[in-house]
Amino acid sequence: MLDRAFTSALARVVPPTALLTAVEDTRPYECDGLTLYRELPGAVLLPDNEAQVVDILRLCHAARVPVVARGAGTSLSGGALPIAQGVVLSLAKFCRILAIDPLARTAIVQPGVRNLAISEAAAAHGLFYAPDPSSQIACSIGGNVAENAGGVHCLKYGLTVHNVRRVRAVLITGEIVEFGADALDAPGYDLLALITGSEGLLGIITEITVKLLPKPQLAQVALAAFDDLEQAGAAVGAVIGAGIIPGGLEMMDREATRAVEQFVHADYPLDAAAVLLVEADGTPLEVAAEMAEIIDVLKASGATEVRVSENEAERLLYWSGRKAAFPAVGRISPDYYCIDGTIPRAALPRVLRQIETWAREFGLPCANVFHAGDGNLHPLILFDANKPGDRERTIAFGDRILELCIDVGGTITGEHGVGVEKIAGMCAQFAPAELERFLGVKRAFDAEGLLNPGKAVPTLARCAEFGRMLVHEGRLAHPELPRF
Amino acid sequence: MTTAATTTRARPQPKAIESLTRRLHDDYGDRAVTTQAVREQHSHGEGLADAALPDVVVFPHTNDEVAAIVRVCHAARIPVIAFGVGTSLEGHVAALYGGVCLDFSQMNRMLEVNDADLDCRVQAGVTREQLNAELKGTGLFFPIDPGANATIGGMASTRASGTNAVRYGTMRENVLGLTVVTADGRIVKTGGRARKSSAGYDLTRLLVGSEGTLGIITEVQLRLYGLPEAISAAVCQFPDLKSAVDTVIVAMQLGIPVARIELLDDVQMDACIRYSQLTEFAAKPTLFFEFHGSEAGVREQAETIESLAADHGGSRFQWATKPEDRSRLWKARHNAYYAALALAPGKQGFATDACVPISRLTDCVLETQADVVQTGLIAPIVGHVGDGNFHLVVLFDPASSDERAKAEALAARVGMRAIGMGGTCTGEHGVGMHKLDALVAEHGDAVTLMQAVKRALDPHDILNPGKTVPP
Repeated sequence: MLDRAFTSALARVVPPTALLTAVEDTRPYECDGLTLYRELPGAVLLPDNEAQVVDILRLCHAARVPVVARGAGTSLSGGALPIAQGVVLSLAKFCRILAIDPLARTAIVQPGVRNLAISEAAAAHGLFYAPDPSSQIACSIGGNVAENAGGVHCLKYGLTVHNVRRVRAVLITGEIVEFGADALDAPGYDLLALITGSEGLLGIITEITVKLLPKPQLAQVALAAFDDLEQAGAAVGAVIGAGIIPGGLEMMDREATRAVEQFVHADYPLDAAAVLLVEADGTPLEVAAEMAEIIDVLKASGATEVRVSENEAERLLYWSGRKAAFPAVGRISPDYYCIDGTIPRAALPRVLRQIETWAREFGLPCANVFHAGDGNLHPLILFDANKPGDRERTIAFGDRILELCIDVGGTITGEHGVGVEKIAGMCAQFAPAELERFLGVKRAFDAEGLLNPGKAVPTLARCAEFGRMLVHEGRLAHPELPRF
Repeated sequence: MTTAATTTRARPQPKAIESLTRRLHDDYGDRAVTTQAVREQHSHGEGLADAALPDVVVFPHTNDEVAAIVRVCHAARIPVIAFGVGTSLEGHVAALYGGVCLDFSQMNRMLEVNDADLDCRVQAGVTREQLNAELKGTGLFFPIDPGANATIGGMASTRASGTNAVRYGTMRENVLGLTVVTADGRIVKTGGRARKSSAGYDLTRLLVGSEGTLGIITEVQLRLYGLPEAISAAVCQFPDLKSAVDTVIVAMQLGIPVARIELLDDVQMDACIRYSQLTEFAAKPTLFFEFHGSEAGVREQAETIESLAADHGGSRFQWATKPEDRSRLWKARHNAYYAALALAPGKQGFATDACVPISRLTDCVLETQADVVQTGLIAPIVGHVGDGNFHLVVLFDPASSDERAKAEALAARVGMRAIGMGGTCTGEHGVGMHKLDALVAEHGDAVTLMQAVKRALDPHDILNPGKTVPP
């Protein structure tokens, strides 16, 4: 419960409809896309302009009340999980596209604008916004920046951090700061990169300038079937190793293909151990040349079948399964747990084989559907929370996978963020010297630690508590490996 | 031009330097050098003469040696300045408060090349040309090309870009991870071989472009690219500057993946014709293009651009498809600075570095050219216009304080004009010691945060003091 004097101070800076304190009103905010964790906030604020955000943050700063920013609430790592003694600051009402400059190929948008809405608005100019998380119909651009979101097209066009030019944010002190510039490069420290992916720990984003790209004249996707999971993993490396950077390069294993086929009826090869989707985009000539090369590489890598989309409808159909993989898996299993680790591409065959073995050992089916070109895994562990022991085994299985990702030189989160979910994993991935730098950065922005506390970056004390879980026999596995 | 911000900081006590030097001599023998000639050589980059001598220059071989030296300096509160090959243009390496210069020329090993992952890891002292020579035979290359044969560490520290940033991005996009020695002498790894990570703050990008003020970069993990199947270069000449710039804007809007687009105005073209014997061309506003891709793709890109150029009154393309013709062309472009200097022997020059959103490029270039004409100075325009970045090489007579003042005023106006158009006064050369005021003008409140970040990562201000952020 928040102090009564504090809530009445809040009531003076926002209209009555923008301050929710009754349990029935705050309940919808108790969790985000990671429903394993829930907490009721002391209050929910729904400001609709920057001045209100400034006022709210000043009050919270003065009263030392923690603030959790929230966009569309689609985070998969608990980034928007409330704090009982704090407020949730929803940016849902910041939902306007302020300007599109087709010559500079930029759009200025408010943080609550949906990812897909930007591309829809830019389509009139033949442009689009490249990062496309699977939740793009719902997730907001402010959340994308806070989590440095990725998506299918990030292999070729980069992550959110590569596609944002400028961010305007309010610090916990109420100061308004701009990061980046409308031009290519901004002098001084790259604070824009720092706030991108900072999970709401450094500032509250109120305005974003994103880059737009010209829509490719043509896109074509090849669907390749493999008898063997490791071969498919090796094929991914072969495509990239041939110097081809496809518009998208995604993999689904048999478990995933079967789940989505029942859902979208795209005529996927159901016997294949794995399916690769490889997209070429550009001018018709470029696409023809690149697609020919892709087909050669896929066949040489052991594909048993390669189909190429013949028209836009077919291309979208091939992709429909990939885009709908999560809901499709949701239909066949009462619960699933999505893991998000990234590994060097060359390690794909080994890691996929290991996950398969563990799935048998744990007795939990695991569907793999992921951004193979980036080496960004999304194993979906299928379980039933009502079955005794399932939840615990699922979490243990997930931890194993993430430890393996670190072992092969990867990272515990490719694009979903750390949030509350992976806070312990941070201690395994980063050494104290590195964590100290993170904490130093945090202090520079938010000395009192009021913005989204308990997420993203663990304190050293917290790591010491977690130590038992992740350090085996008092030693960190493979201390010589780069950890970052 | 602005001078380094005023500060109360003083050089270390002679006694402290003496004991440090003795210790470095003991530990590193003749790799710790205090001779006047070597200190002078390490006191400045290129660009305006702003030399400040370090007290001692050390040539480390390993990360551990760098860390050990920094630890000693940290304990004694003595400045440490990282030095690549000294090609920076904004006074990044001048030892304003003395201290230890770390010369990375002997940390120049390739550590790994991962063909299948299109990445590699190098020590900070590897130069750009060395890297590409060592990649020969792998079918891969590293595209970032600031002109000078700079070290990878130096390029990462200044967030360098270059003629083909329009296609391949800058160091910001191409550094995957770093090994860094922190201000207290600890070795930290950031980023890594995974293509994406949303774990923790983005220290890699924070350090890229931090000009040695937040940590000393000792190793760099770089993104590599497959050598394109076909490369060709073309030259197109225009009746006036506006037509040339407008052609670029339309090409960019269409998203044609040109590998390089360079603009040279008539004065610069004249200079290059004389200096690099490009006698087949006229002294007119000119665009140099380079196309990378498949045979068909390159042809298609070139045809599209040629017809765009023709719409704007551009000449037919003059082609350079043979490697030696291409390199002659790009060499002429890289030597543009020296060609400009040769226009007026005896004069000195410095380069401005404005960058604007591409939709404002025509306005900015034309206003700038008119401004140059007004001043009566010689200041040719050359630039990577595909990303809105262009340079003036401003020439002035070092003996005439009047002309120098005029030149500096012109440069200041160029910077402010770019900022006024939503751009920046430093597209690729960095802040160093010369652009601290402009940083404040552009970034306002964010500068306070930058200072806070600096204090958090280097509380005693020993890493390249006096640079990048005002004290």
